[in-house]
Amino acid sequence: MSKENQKEENAVNESYRQKPKVAVYVCHCGGNISDVIDVKRVAAELSKYPNVAISREYAFMCSSTGQDFVVDDIKNNGINRVVIAACSPFLHELTFRGALNRAGLNPYLYEHVNIREQSSWVHKNDKEGATLKAISLVKAGVEKILRQDPLNSIRVEALHSVAVIGAGIAGLRAALSCAENGLDVTIIEKSDSIGGNLRRSGNIYPTGEKASSIPENLSKKVLSMKNVKIYTQAEISFVGGYVGNFQLNVKKSDGNFEKVKAGAIIVATGFNHYIPHEGEYGWKKSTFVLTLPQFNELLEQSAGSEIEIEGKKIKSVAFMHCVGSRQIDGIDKPGKNGKVNDYCSRICCTAIIHSANRLKEKFPYVDVFDIYTDMRTYGMHHEKYYKDASKNDVIFFRRPLEERPVVEIGSDSIKIKTKDVLTMNEEMEIEADVLVLGTGIVPNDISDLVEYLKLPRGSDSFLQEVHPKLRPVEVSNNGIFIAGTAQGPMDVMETLQAANTAAVKAAALLSSPDIPLDPFVAVVDEDKCTGCGLCLAECSYSGALTMMEKEVNGKKKKVAVVNPALCKGCGACVAVCEPRAINVAGWTLDQFDAMVEAIAKE
Amino acid sequence: MSEKKPKILIITTNHSSYPGANAVGQAHLSYDSNTYIIRVPDPVMFPENFYMKAFEKGIAGIIIMSSGSDCPYEGAYDRLSKRIQNVYNLMKGKNIPINRLKLTTICTVCREAFIKEISDMEKVVAK
Amino acid sequence: MNGKTEHNCDTLIVGSGIAGMQAALDIGDAGFNVIMVEKSPSIGGKMISLSKVFPTLDCASCITTPKMAASSHHPRVQMMTYTEVKNISKKADGFEALLIKKPRFVIESECISCRKCEEACPVYLEDEFEYGLGVKKAISIPFTNAIPQFPVLDEEKCIRCGACARVCPKDCIDYLQKPEEITVKAKSVIIATGYEITPMDAKKEYGENKLINVISSLQAERLLAPHGPYGKVLRPSDGKIPDSIAYVQCAGSRDESIGVPYCSRVCCMYAIKQAMLLSGSLPLSEITIYYMDIRAFGKGYEQFYNQARAMGINFVKAKVAKISEDSQHNVILRIDRQEEGSKPQEVKHDLVVLSQGLIPSRKEFFGLDVKLNEYGFIDSPAKTFSPALTGIDGLFVAGVASGPKDIPDTIMEAGSAAMEALNYLKTAKIS
Repeated sequence: MSKENQKEENAVNESYRQKPKVAVYVCHCGGNISDVIDVKRVAAELSKYPNVAISREYAFMCSSTGQDFVVDDIKNNGINRVVIAACSPFLHELTFRGALNRAGLNPYLYEHVNIREQSSWVHKNDKEGATLKAISLVKAGVEKILRQDPLNSIRVEALHSVAVIGAGIAGLRAALSCAENGLDVTIIEKSDSIGGNLRRSGNIYPTGEKASSIPENLSKKVLSMKNVKIYTQAEISFVGGYVGNFQLNVKKSDGNFEKVKAGAIIVATGFNHYIPHEGEYGWKKSTFVLTLPQFNELLEQSAGSEIEIEGKKIKSVAFMHCVGSRQIDGIDKPGKNGKVNDYCSRICCTAIIHSANRLKEKFPYVDVFDIYTDMRTYGMHHEKYYKDASKNDVIFFRRPLEERPVVEIGSDSIKIKTKDVLTMNEEMEIEADVLVLGTGIVPNDISDLVEYLKLPRGSDSFLQEVHPKLRPVEVSNNGIFIAGTAQGPMDVMETLQAANTAAVKAAALLSSPDIPLDPFVAVVDEDKCTGCGLCLAECSYSGALTMMEKEVNGKKKKVAVVNPALCKGCGACVAVCEPRAINVAGWTLDQFDAMVEAIAKE
Repeated sequence: MSEKKPKILIITTNHSSYPGANAVGQAHLSYDSNTYIIRVPDPVMFPENFYMKAFEKGIAGIIIMSSGSDCPYEGAYDRLSKRIQNVYNLMKGKNIPINRLKLTTICTVCREAFIKEISDMEKVVAK
Repeated sequence: MNGKTEHNCDTLIVGSGIAGMQAALDIGDAGFNVIMVEKSPSIGGKMISLSKVFPTLDCASCITTPKMAASSHHPRVQMMTYTEVKNISKKADGFEALLIKKPRFVIESECISCRKCEEACPVYLEDEFEYGLGVKKAISIPFTNAIPQFPVLDEEKCIRCGACARVCPKDCIDYLQKPEEITVKAKSVIIATGYEITPMDAKKEYGENKLINVISSLQAERLLAPHGPYGKVLRPSDGKIPDSIAYVQCAGSRDESIGVPYCSRVCCMYAIKQAMLLSGSLPLSEITIYYMDIRAFGKGYEQFYNQARAMGINFVKAKVAKISEDSQHNVILRIDRQEEGSKPQEVKHDLVVLSQGLIPSRKEFFGLDVKLNEYGFIDSPAKTFSPALTGIDGLFVAGVASGPKDIPDTIMEAGSAAMEALNYLKTAKIS
């Protein structure tokens, strides 16, 4: 839910503390309800119900006249709880909460009963049944609201600062955007300089510019911001606190510790290139087997008319796709974590084609071979690079998904044997001076951080967002956002966009002096709590529930304590609390028992 | 149709099955009126005895329409399905046929599935 | 033309699909005022019409409706639906947009969304929300979970019988409603106009949209949707349950002959998803996907593809050269299989889905001097600095308006455009 959908409560009316006086309103919805349900009978039935002081029916409760009834009854007739039977609460719950607010009553002292979508519209041929059902449902609504406490949105103070972990392009982009937004930013970088993976030389798609110029442009801007602090060679040793108020202990390069305080944390710890196993496609068996980043470096450094390694003129180069990506259990050797990388690394196909073209442009005499499975040149102009490669006489071989080419290191060249789909699955033999391994992307090792921040990781070992569409840069821990390739393979443009999205979430979260939180979280009745701790075992959200020694009614005892900033209000704890000491505010078990009682009664 | 039929309690979630029930109404489909829908953040909050008490009070059948894999809460669905297993054991002890309690998943537009769950339960409670 | 109104806002967002809504929510949450304008009668864009979405197989509606509800209830987001943007011009102090609010012929402030008008209307029309597979009335609410829930009267098809006006309990049918001119002064603008799919008749070898059992990918989405037009998958010609279904990949992408040489990025994945859903609802049917390269490059996508292969969906590396039909309207594909390299083969299927590509939704962008690439998408001059920038100060782009992409990538871009807009509002010297 967007935080702004929780209306501010400025209720001053304390009348709910007095004896309950419930008002019931039954809406006709211009015949939509009243054509099926006998609304007069419902209102009359309810007027006899205990604690109901007023019971009315009206043509359009949502109209301003309808709302005025509610306001007037609260202000002038001593009504302190309201039940409205009408359409779905999703349409007009906020409308009527607004009306209660205007009348000065806490907006949560109102229950909306749905007798349109879930009664009159679905029981058209059963008027008597629909009417009886409506009566039962409205009675249940009265029972619920009688047991309702006023709710106020919980607010936690927010520091207007962000800690960005990692100074690659994702970290720099997020830091720059947060800083431009006026937030104080601290960048914490493990290595000795900023810029991340793109510091290496080499050329990059889609612009063809030098890779290193991308972090350079960003860092120039970042360094010009007065509200940005950067710690390099810094290590995080502990993280405490919660949304709005995190503390990070940072060990600086000089060995001293610094306490960094932040309202939000952006994790931008980036990726590493996959390192092949010894012998995987000839890796480490020859100095002529290179990874793609190594080859790109060589290519950029090579000047003149020939490209050479160790003094040997290179006349042919073969590129191998999917090294460390799209691996298959039982075919490929698992990594240290015991798992194969079954994911696609997304950027390698285009990166390889880009390098192949660059090689051909710089050294047209070189024969270039490309061994791929599916050509994933998906981006805006990537297909053009692929076409250009064909025009540049790059020779393509397509290996079947389950087949693995065999690499033999000869004394003078490298032999690659592969099945080729393009020639009716014929066994092909390619001879090349250099074999370039299109190594995939793996997340950086951030086990410590994962522990400190309780970060969830997916089966692919990348950080796992709550939901790829609903909350794509959030983890379940409020106030922590993820940016860039720590989350999964992305190219430069995608990384920058993702980093800005993490930044906008931090900026929105910290845009006001305090952070409003949903009031529907667990609450503990300390009198009833026996300190058994069963609820703790049920809670999925670390830190949301703790046991604490407290003084209750003059006696010290152990009770459950809820941190509303971390509780999500799922109610998993509620079910295991035998004395019903813990409940979700606004949705208590006593309320539901009473509702079921009212429904079950004849 | 107005003779008193055994009552069915339908537990829906704010997140998916309650809007699903609204979608059934918006499509003007119909089902029997002995069906009472309540909504919760997540049915994981109900202890075993909530269901048992509901049966004692005279509810004939209960359908829990959870959000299933769409559930916004961590681990809630697994906990819920384990709890329902416990309830089944309690029901067996009290000789209540376990098909009077059904755990299912209904999405925001699962109109046909919603109707089918109700008609299945109607058959069960009619016996 | 009826009346003229003027509005001010911090950010005008053009388009209310998933990109527009997400950007609106992010900007609104950060404390700035947004006007989100949408040409259709409901917000939600293309995403609300999809069945389920890859790779999680969440129901699309379940992901979209919360965003629709949140943006429609947001105190700082004002939506203007059924409203066309005619022109946007850059002024010294921001942008000025001229909008035309089209008449629904319903007084919105009075309507209670009861659908009585819809029930009473005697005129049936093809339902564009169902891509022609279903019917609707000449006055109707666009679809189940449309926001706002106001009906629209089709001016041309309405026979002025008065049935709707007679049953309306609020007396809010107004046959004389006129278009309304609205001026919006905005400090910044986000373009989130999304896409159209390549037309069914784009490739003349593919039957020119005359083959009844060759359907579009969006029609297939509706057939598979839990609240779709038939409630199940049936083939259009005879209502028969199809025993063999084929997907033709790149039917509108990677094809210079139709002017779409680029990859549309989503077609492999939506075809795989649809195939998986089909094999769930029609377990006895054979499903074949004819493809060049399977581009399952996003997070979790390769695993999704592997799952589909394990489910028994046939993946065949082949180009489809021609599509025709026999006398029973069975679809005949002439294919060149890459693996066999032999002569072209002919294969028969009951139902064929064209995996169409994505093209820009408009040829030009409201008179704004924004740079487009050779395919008509908005081209960012700052791809390696902040791709949401457009080269015009205060104008930003999100989603498919800048090139094809899937929903997660679109949502990331929306957040990015919102970030840039916010920082522009904070730092630029605009009143």
